[in-house]
Amino acid sequence: MMKEFYDAATRIRSDVLSRWKDTGGNVVGYTCSYVPSEIFHAAGILPYRIRGIETESMEIADAYFGPYICTFPKCVLQLAGKGKYDFLDGAIITPGCDSMRRLDECWRKAGDAIPGIVPSFFYYFDVPHKSIGHGTRWFREEIVNLIKALENQFGITITDEKLNASIRLYNRARRLLKELEDLRAKDAVVISGTDAFAVTMAGTAMPREEYTEHLENLVASLKKKKAKKDERKRIMLIGSISDDISLVDLVEQSGKAVVVTENLCFGVRDEGNEVAEEGDPVDALAKAYLGESTCPRMYGKYKERLATLSAIIRRSNVDAVVMQNIRFCDLHGSENGLFERDLEKEGIPCIRLEREYGPLVETGRLRMRIDAFFERLESQRPHKENVYSMEAV
Amino acid sequence: MRPEILEYNMDWMLCSIMMAASKTADGSRKEYDRLQPYIPYFSGILEPMVNAGKPGITFLKMFTDYLDNIVTAHDKGKKVALTTFCFSPSILYSIDVVPVTLEILTTFGRLMWRRGIVDYLDYCVELGLTETACSAQRGSMGAYLAGLGAHVDMVICDTPGVCDTNANSFTFAAAYLDKPYFQLNYPQTIGDERTDKYHLEDYMAMIDFLEKNTGKKLDLDRLKLTLDEIKIQDQLVSDLEDYHRLVPTPLPVIFNLFIYAGRFMFAGEPIYTKLLKEMLEVAGEKAAKGESGLTSGKENLRAFMCYIDHYAINLQFYDWLNDNGIAHLGGILSRTFNIASPYIKGLEGSGYSIDTSSIETMIDSIAQMNARMPMVRSIRGQYDKPGMWLEETLALAKMFKVDCIIYNGTPGCRNTWGMVKPFAMDLEKHGYPTHVMYGDAFDERVESWEASLERLNEFFNVRGLL
Repeated sequence: MMKEFYDAATRIRSDVLSRWKDTGGNVVGYTCSYVPSEIFHAAGILPYRIRGIETESMEIADAYFGPYICTFPKCVLQLAGKGKYDFLDGAIITPGCDSMRRLDECWRKAGDAIPGIVPSFFYYFDVPHKSIGHGTRWFREEIVNLIKALENQFGITITDEKLNASIRLYNRARRLLKELEDLRAKDAVVISGTDAFAVTMAGTAMPREEYTEHLENLVASLKKKKAKKDERKRIMLIGSISDDISLVDLVEQSGKAVVVTENLCFGVRDEGNEVAEEGDPVDALAKAYLGESTCPRMYGKYKERLATLSAIIRRSNVDAVVMQNIRFCDLHGSENGLFERDLEKEGIPCIRLEREYGPLVETGRLRMRIDAFFERLESQRPHKENVYSMEAV
Repeated sequence: MRPEILEYNMDWMLCSIMMAASKTADGSRKEYDRLQPYIPYFSGILEPMVNAGKPGITFLKMFTDYLDNIVTAHDKGKKVALTTFCFSPSILYSIDVVPVTLEILTTFGRLMWRRGIVDYLDYCVELGLTETACSAQRGSMGAYLAGLGAHVDMVICDTPGVCDTNANSFTFAAAYLDKPYFQLNYPQTIGDERTDKYHLEDYMAMIDFLEKNTGKKLDLDRLKLTLDEIKIQDQLVSDLEDYHRLVPTPLPVIFNLFIYAGRFMFAGEPIYTKLLKEMLEVAGEKAAKGESGLTSGKENLRAFMCYIDHYAINLQFYDWLNDNGIAHLGGILSRTFNIASPYIKGLEGSGYSIDTSSIETMIDSIAQMNARMPMVRSIRGQYDKPGMWLEETLALAKMFKVDCIIYNGTPGCRNTWGMVKPFAMDLEKHGYPTHVMYGDAFDERVESWEASLERLNEFFNVRGLL
């Protein structure tokens, strides 16, 4: 069962994607969790979260991006330049952060030198940085404009009925992921963090019906699975964008710890919020995708995000938090600094890791630091009463 | 942070130095000359300012006032807001809030102190802010986070989505200090009705925030005075820009700094008007004689800084331009983009106008003006889209008859480093030799001034420009 998830999570052109393309299906890539996938599903298009895995070199990316830029968009550009994304019929770029939004210009300009690498539908989706009144209104208009653009490009009609049906389907998978999170929160570990991350990741690259079916089967089988209370340290993984399951695996490799939850852009962080199934579907999408976001790009919401993390830490009985940020990711890197201050105060051990994105080019260094952190955990068992006294946060 | 740094507040130190500096020119030349040995580290920046004549002295006094406002704010019953250079302080003056514009303090700390601002820069990192965050904020923010500055009452920025690293630093400061925070957020477009509506709605939300956190209502009479003053200032800047179009330009290199630093400190305040009038007087006299503003009197080349200046200690970058006969035709920071400016033609939507006929028009005017401050105006969207960085740079380069373009920023400028390579390639295609500086405008540890100088010389020599 895990094979399908792993295939979709660890390969850019997975089997399921190839099958979709073989049947003549359209695929539109997107770069940020603010793009409502339901819109594409309602249009009969496969939404595909663009990722940076399988990068082997950086010469194309370095020709367009400057040196002080996060390596994630660089890897994406490199892959696009190498033709790895030639299956895309469209791409949506969003201003998730400064590095990601510049993918728009760099990809287009690279397309001047390398013909054919820019999808015919190349769209900029402007997401505001606040969800109060006018912010959500702006975002709603952006969704309407995107729907119109897709209709024009692909000669389709996206009705409210279709959108509502897609919302219901997506919510079904969201509820299943929530069930999966509840299972992971139990003392008896029934699934590794690496497997769980692969499952979540796969949802961003598989046809939703197929994904939901696999997910249903997985959750049902995990519910039946018998496991004893696990003695490994229970870890939460947070920080910069990660679409590489090796990062989770790295934390678990020592056998001393298991990742029981995460708050990552490709993970359950943005899959956790259900979209309202009543009323205007565009309103519902706007409210859910913008209003419920817990990304640090929504500036000034630190306390809310800390409260969210604290709630997850309590629910999942987390022993320690591994915080990582890709170099030049100031948003997550700085927020990790604040999280570390506030969580350590509450007795929750934290480690901050700065890394480069890519095929874990720094595996040795990261492993050494993680191992040292686990040694610290072993020598300083946290006081559980402190861990659970976070009401003040 | 080193213990000796903890002895004095940063803003107080700057204020004391500037206060003393601004008084030096009040004495005789002999007194001034005798003073020099006692200020070996500061004479390097004092000299060019004093040599700039009346505008230089006024600038010193103006900056002293700015700093004095900060250090005495609470004694005078005023609130203090941490803010950024691309946020016009005029609204804050209209509600009796004292702005602390981090980039201004960073710049002058960098220009004036031999030891630079590294302690404050690094202190932010000790607290958890990434070392890759922009030095323009970190250079003075560290002092405020360490309690080495006026007590901060609130934090306001307007850079999310335009310069995330800037916005992130202010967010960090607000969270770390646990202070009320407001961020103005701009769409990625400019000049259309929908975008302008967003500007206005967001700005009105900010006024609500200010009123709530000061317990005061926006003083509309004061706002009108401020906007009327800005109208005058914009006209004066426009006149200076007209002089800048002359070949040779009669504006000394340092005037660029005066124009934008004055605006960031005192937009809408009479002292900035005085400074502009004095600069205009100097420029007019030189223009009448057909003189260049450069010390040598000979303009070899006209350079445009498409982003920000380099603030090597003692204004060495300006000295280098001056010594090589390179006129500084301004940068992204220098222009007002008032709708009456000639470069607005072809950049429809990038300009603002000021209408003080009603409350609504006043609020709309200041909201639209704020949305057209440097950086937030043209770095907000894709660089090659209408009204954005490329169009703007080309329009200014053409209008000011520039021979070459120089990019300088900081490694924190993710917003420009993300596309400066294709941007520079496009400028070259349009016939402008373009040099990309890889240093940090505020932190010499990234690249020494000497190394930056080597690369500048190499560019000008290889391209046969000098």
